Amino acid sequence: MAFKLWASSTANALRISYNGTRTPLLALSISRCFSSVIDGFKYTPSHEWVKHEGSVATIGITDHAQDHLGEVVFVDLPEPGACFAKGGSFGAVESVKATSDINCPISGEVVEVNTNLCENPALINKSPYEDGWMIKVKPGDPSELDSLMGSKDYTKFCEEEDAAH
Amino acid sequence: MKLQRTLRACKFGIVNYFDALNLQERLVSDRKAGNILDTVLSLQHPPTYTLGKRRTDHNLLVSESDLKAMGAELHYTERGGVITFHGPRQAILYPIVSLREIGIGARKYVEGLESVMIEVTSLYGVNVHPGKAGETGVWVGDRKIGAIGVRISSGITSHGLAFNINPDLNYFKHIVPCGILDKGVTSLRTETKMELPEDEVIHEQLIKPFAKIFQFGDIQWKQDGSF
Repeated sequence: MAFKLWASSTANALRISYNGTRTPLLALSISRCFSSVIDGFKYTPSHEWVKHEGSVATIGITDHAQDHLGEVVFVDLPEPGACFAKGGSFGAVESVKATSDINCPISGEVVEVNTNLCENPALINKSPYEDGWMIKVKPGDPSELDSLMGSKDYTKFCEEEDAAH
Repeated sequence: MKLQRTLRACKFGIVNYFDALNLQERLVSDRKAGNILDTVLSLQHPPTYTLGKRRTDHNLLVSESDLKAMGAELHYTERGGVITFHGPRQAILYPIVSLREIGIGARKYVEGLESVMIEVTSLYGVNVHPGKAGETGVWVGDRKIGAIGVRISSGITSHGLAFNINPDLNYFKHIVPCGILDKGVTSLRTETKMELPEDEVIHEQLIKPFAKIFQFGDIQWKQDGSF
């Protein structure tokens, strides 16, 4: 599976230092920060990814998502056996005093949960597509994957979203 | 030309925590459905302790019955952050906004909330700064003057910020504020030599930079009497 690195994230490098005041954050017209995507995965507008292999789909959040969240300090995951509809919230991550709901890209039954994330939630930041996987599901309707974005469309979607402000 | 986005600012007086939570849930649902504008609730709470999603009860140093005896409530919430206190003379802003329409994620949103409180504190000549990594919030030296705890659901925010104008800081003695040992809490009244206006003015001074920082073209003010 090809791993395309579009560019390394420059957000941290461009973070402007301050002495008690902040430059209005959205006035910064910094160059676009390209996050990585994986060819062959499918993506949602809410920045989850799905890797479909046979009867199992692995789900996590993208490099773009983890970069925009900040350091993840807590992950709330469901139990195996739980069922979710497409778009339903299956868990949450906490970063910078914000809990963000994570939505299920496809309907299905949870067959495995990445319990490593309890002890080491920052795996989501360090390895969003591999060690930071969140749940594996048995897809309820594999055709739902067809309506998700491929890597090229998702990359374009992220660029447009970041350019919106 | 970019379309002007309007922020609806609803001003309340003292609102019970549970009532404010129910109102926020309703507004989040309405905002997800696209039925309402981006909204910010501006209010204060009666003495209330709240815990975040991680349920870190060990940061509460007294029993729940002791809290009741001192006239305070305790609530468990789904927001980020650990434990905190809310009470009269502490300005609360609960923005219910679509981060996707603004085009930012959690990190930038929280940094924006920090900037709001920094801007207002600076108006009163106080040397204030955002927290280091892992210490989200707004600080004067090693004393926290403003706290943040947010929930984001399908890109819509709820909960928000709490800024200490002049609350009774003794209430903070019963918790490890925000789960950070060896750091104190403070208030605008404690830190500034300037005279303070009415709380309502300070609430407006928080809402205006919020609108500016998150690029709202105009503010629709709404005074809700009693809740």
